[in-house]
Amino acid sequence: MARDARESPILSQQLLLSVAEELKLPLLQIAREAERGALNGSADLGVIRTTADSALRLLDNYVLGVRLALEPAQLAPESVSVASILYDTGQQLDTLAKSYGVSLELNVAGRFGPILANRQGLQAALVSLGAALIEALPAQDGSQLKLQLATHRSRYGIVAGLYADTRQLTNETLRRGRALQRHSRQPLISMTHTSGAGIFVADTILQAMHLNLRTSRHHRLYGLGTVLQPSPQIQLV
Amino acid sequence: MAEILLVEPDRRLASTYAKALQAAGHHVTAVPSAQTAIMAADAVLPDLVILELQLVEHSGIEFLYEFRSYPDWQAVPIIIQSQVPPAEFSDNWQLLQDELGVQAYLYKPRTSLRRLLAQVQEFTPVKT
Repeated sequence: MARDARESPILSQQLLLSVAEELKLPLLQIAREAERGALNGSADLGVIRTTADSALRLLDNYVLGVRLALEPAQLAPESVSVASILYDTGQQLDTLAKSYGVSLELNVAGRFGPILANRQGLQAALVSLGAALIEALPAQDGSQLKLQLATHRSRYGIVAGLYADTRQLTNETLRRGRALQRHSRQPLISMTHTSGAGIFVADTILQAMHLNLRTSRHHRLYGLGTVLQPSPQIQLV
Repeated sequence: MAEILLVEPDRRLASTYAKALQAAGHHVTAVPSAQTAIMAADAVLPDLVILELQLVEHSGIEFLYEFRSYPDWQAVPIIIQSQVPPAEFSDNWQLLQDELGVQAYLYKPRTSLRRLLAQVQEFTPVKT
């Protein structure tokens, strides 16, 4: 049975508004690059393709989030490897990262048993988050253009997330951003120049899965991630 | 040919604008933030600034106040080209124009490269 729309943050108008604002950027990039091609005879088709893919990915993740919120039965948790999810996330983000000059690294040092989560939902959340951070990093002062997909153990469970050397990723930034989402066109002003839709889509997909997007540290890096629980069945085996 | 400082936070968009301006014969320095824009202005002495208002940490308006506080840069023409619709600035247009010396306000989603190039042409000094 579908949930009441009022209970589902993913269905909120502010998220839709945020996604609509965010989509203007790739559409603008495509329009201007195509116009440049017409003017100068040299449009970069690779940029146009990557940019269209960014827009499609944002829409796909938003639609997936809405579906998950409406049909929780699709959220059946399964035993999945967090390393393989991070690897696949990296694969999906690779082209985007290259087009923004961001170096993407995978850090899954250590042995992590399977975790219990809905694979499709978790991956969509991490990809959405990663795409938003890749686009945001080059606009920040002084941050290195490196993003790490990483996992580590904490006392709460296994944390999977994306990390950079930017100090702007704080609990306060995230808390204020969530509060400002309705009122500001740039709610995460210390992190990104956009509406931050990718981050809020990730936030709401995770909420639909009863997980939380939270700030986290990984060695000396700052990031956003979620805490996952180990799969008890596999542990018994 | 003019020396243009392009303050544009999106790297891909900055690249497209820079290439179009360069093809029109201008020299372009593209920077993503208000802080780097001040440093770049000091280094390149721009003839014109193209500015997005939605920047990370410090907004384009903060940049404008800082930029105009230096005597050397008070006469440099500034074109705002922003994702922020001009209707949101209609009450403050007088302030932007009179106090901060903004020459034009272009709404980015509705501004073609051709229009931007025409505006740049209009506001850049002719060098002999």
